[in-house]
Amino acid sequence: MIEPNLDLLVPAYVREFEPYIPSKPDQELQKLYGCDHLYRLNNNENPLGPPPGAQEVIRRFPPPRGAVYPSGDSYYLRQEIAACHGIDPDQVLVGNGANEVIAFVIKAFCSQGDNIITADKTFAVYEWVAVFSGIEARVIPLKEERFDDEAMLEGIDAATKVIFLCNPNNPTGTYWSRDTLRAFLEEVGGKQIVVIDEAYYEFVEADDFPDGISLINDYPNLIVFRTFSKMYGIAGLRIGYLVGDLKVVDMIRRTCIVYSVNGIAQEAALACLRDETGHIRRTRELVREGKAFLCAEMAVMGLPVIVGEGNYLIVKLTGSDTLAYRKLMHEGIMIRPMTGFRYPNHIRVTMARMEAMEAFVAALKNILA
Amino acid sequence: MSQDHDRIVSLQLTAQMSFLQIATHCVETAAKAFGLGKEESLKLSLATEEIFSYLGSHVCRGGILDIRCINRLSYVRVEFRFSVSTLNMGALNIAASVDCENEDDMAEMGLAIASRTINRLNIVAERQNCICLAIENDKHYPPAPKTYVVPIDVTGALMVETPDTEGVKQYVTRVAQGSPDPIRPIFFNYPGQVADMVAAGNCQVVTAVDAKGELAGGVLFRFLTTRIVEMFGPHVFQQDREGEIAGLLLDACIARTVRSKAIGLVSLTGMPSSVQSQFELLGLMNHYRHDGKTIAGQAFYRLLHEDPGCLVFTDTSLKDYLQREYSRLFLAREIREVRDQGEMKAGASIFATEVHREGSVAILRPLWPGVDYDANVKKHLLFLEEEVINSIFFNLDLGVSWHASLMAVLLANHFRPVLIIPFAGQADLLIFQYDRTEP
Ligand SMILES: Cc1ncc(COP(=O)(O)O)c(C=O)c1O
Repeated sequence: MIEPNLDLLVPAYVREFEPYIPSKPDQELQKLYGCDHLYRLNNNENPLGPPPGAQEVIRRFPPPRGAVYPSGDSYYLRQEIAACHGIDPDQVLVGNGANEVIAFVIKAFCSQGDNIITADKTFAVYEWVAVFSGIEARVIPLKEERFDDEAMLEGIDAATKVIFLCNPNNPTGTYWSRDTLRAFLEEVGGKQIVVIDEAYYEFVEADDFPDGISLINDYPNLIVFRTFSKMYGIAGLRIGYLVGDLKVVDMIRRTCIVYSVNGIAQEAALACLRDETGHIRRTRELVREGKAFLCAEMAVMGLPVIVGEGNYLIVKLTGSDTLAYRKLMHEGIMIRPMTGFRYPNHIRVTMARMEAMEAFVAALKNILA
Repeated sequence: MSQDHDRIVSLQLTAQMSFLQIATHCVETAAKAFGLGKEESLKLSLATEEIFSYLGSHVCRGGILDIRCINRLSYVRVEFRFSVSTLNMGALNIAASVDCENEDDMAEMGLAIASRTINRLNIVAERQNCICLAIENDKHYPPAPKTYVVPIDVTGALMVETPDTEGVKQYVTRVAQGSPDPIRPIFFNYPGQVADMVAAGNCQVVTAVDAKGELAGGVLFRFLTTRIVEMFGPHVFQQDREGEIAGLLLDACIARTVRSKAIGLVSLTGMPSSVQSQFELLGLMNHYRHDGKTIAGQAFYRLLHEDPGCLVFTDTSLKDYLQREYSRLFLAREIREVRDQGEMKAGASIFATEVHREGSVAILRPLWPGVDYDANVKKHLLFLEEEVINSIFFNLDLGVSWHASLMAVLLANHFRPVLIIPFAGQADLLIFQYDRTEP
């Protein structure tokens, strides 16, 4: 048997990349940590699940349809999304989660020697996809927990192709107002692609928060990401999308994988958009209550929090967050340690039902005692 | 880390005595070209002579030998790659020639002699039967000047930065001029050496400076294994702001490693108390000094990510110990016990012995299983005592089932488990230290 010479076959930037190891399935984790239940407060999932209409779609999906390819470009879903925003369906590209459309964008715009700009303490996938594609990722430190507009502009050079903003930011919940965003786009002046990841858009309650999609007419270099994983509670089906200017999207379409979005996901997403039962209102209430409860409890415990928009908040601990993760796992609570987001000794907690919030507080008191 | 400065000279030949001089000349010439002094180059060439003759006669006679000389700026590394049949495996033990029955008459043989003339020797099995034996010699550098430095006065806000060569040297000089620390690695005495280590990509340095560029502290870190980063420091030069400066430097070290291959950060040489709460105490390692005194050094650890859990193997003797340690550290491990159930075992075991002359440290690792563990451990101990090596460690990879069969043997030979380094191998590493206080 002759082994392939992987040193020669694999580009250095791939060889040197550390693959992300997702956490094990809940059952395995429960076995490992010896806990009989697990509250998942680590992935910003919606504890209410999908809206009722989407639940119905999932329940009723006819098994023989499993044999049939879905629409290769999410035809009906794109029409619905376009109708919601008053845009052309061809301005929409649907992917297997927003994660997949990140890769579409980087592939479409970047080649060797180019760079992207993002922040140090934000969702890591922009940086990862760039790095394992051989593209430099310039990570600009947050300023007072916010994306630093001036420093990001200063970071731009002739090789900069894409700027990734996360609005509101995961994990800090900070955001750029309509004015800040417009001023930034004016400064960029169409020379680079600006991506706004609005994965948590539907959670935002602030009045001055910009709807990125409405700005695309004025700024055709703008691309907006949305997902059905967070507010709409179908993370398990993997579906998200991007919206951009027609000509820009026409370029990205060349690098997108057709048929990557499955049929149940497309139909469930349609049902999410058509929800009239107040799913968004119910979820927002849950998030509001959760934040109020946790902020009060953390204040009593003397632990600072970083809280803003989105269905999560950050708690600053006095010791190691990765140790706290292990201790909390033994208590049946799964949170996100923030060292990987360059926030050592911080944890991020997803807002969930009161029972889970109370269990988290009790467990935290226990492990810090 | 960057490979830009690597310069490689490579040579392929048959392991036969008529080619000996080609090998030694090649190594000596390459070493000189790579900036090693005359004496160090000669030592590498002498070690090469020993190794070449030894391999040619005892290990892979007439087989193909790949020799690579690599310029790592602060040192030159020579790698010997060859295939070996199981029959000759035993000869790869550094202590192969030690005769337990007859202590006085220790035949001088290849690897042992080679290990004496150079700074480091190590051996790894790269694939089935494919072995890489490596020797390294450091360049000579002038020590940091002893002149007393004026206490610094750092004012206002601090920034962290990646220093240039002069900045690295200034940081190392300050460390060297600080209070003496017997556990501090020797390279901290040589600013030029650390500058070359950084330039070669073998380590990174981050410093904290004020607006005037005044140096408030620094930290040095490097990959100890492919997944574990070892941190030295943070060193703080302005004591009244220790907590702030150490915290800043630690954050910077984490920010620069967290999206690399690293899964954890270890500190084996001490750190300021202000940042210790961010770490977990793994255990204590004894450092034996040349004057015979011992100092216990604390080993600290911090995972950078969620603990994914794993499977570890043990034999009965250490099952309780592992259970206790894992529950103390809150690490999720499935502990599986291995037992000798009479299955066939054959051949001579090999231990890789990493000898660090300057620190008088030897680190042993099992490389190949065999039937002769007890005898082989004894031979190695005899050899290392003969060589006056003070600190002897034996590292087992708890993810490799056959390593567990060495546990009882090590305990019986006065090794004590001192600490577990999570994921420093296929699974966690269990580090044993030879306890010289035992009879
Ligand atoms: C900011 C942000 N963008 C994108 C994603 C990925 O979403 P999806 O599940 O649609 O791939 C997440 C998920 O955590 C996120 O937090």
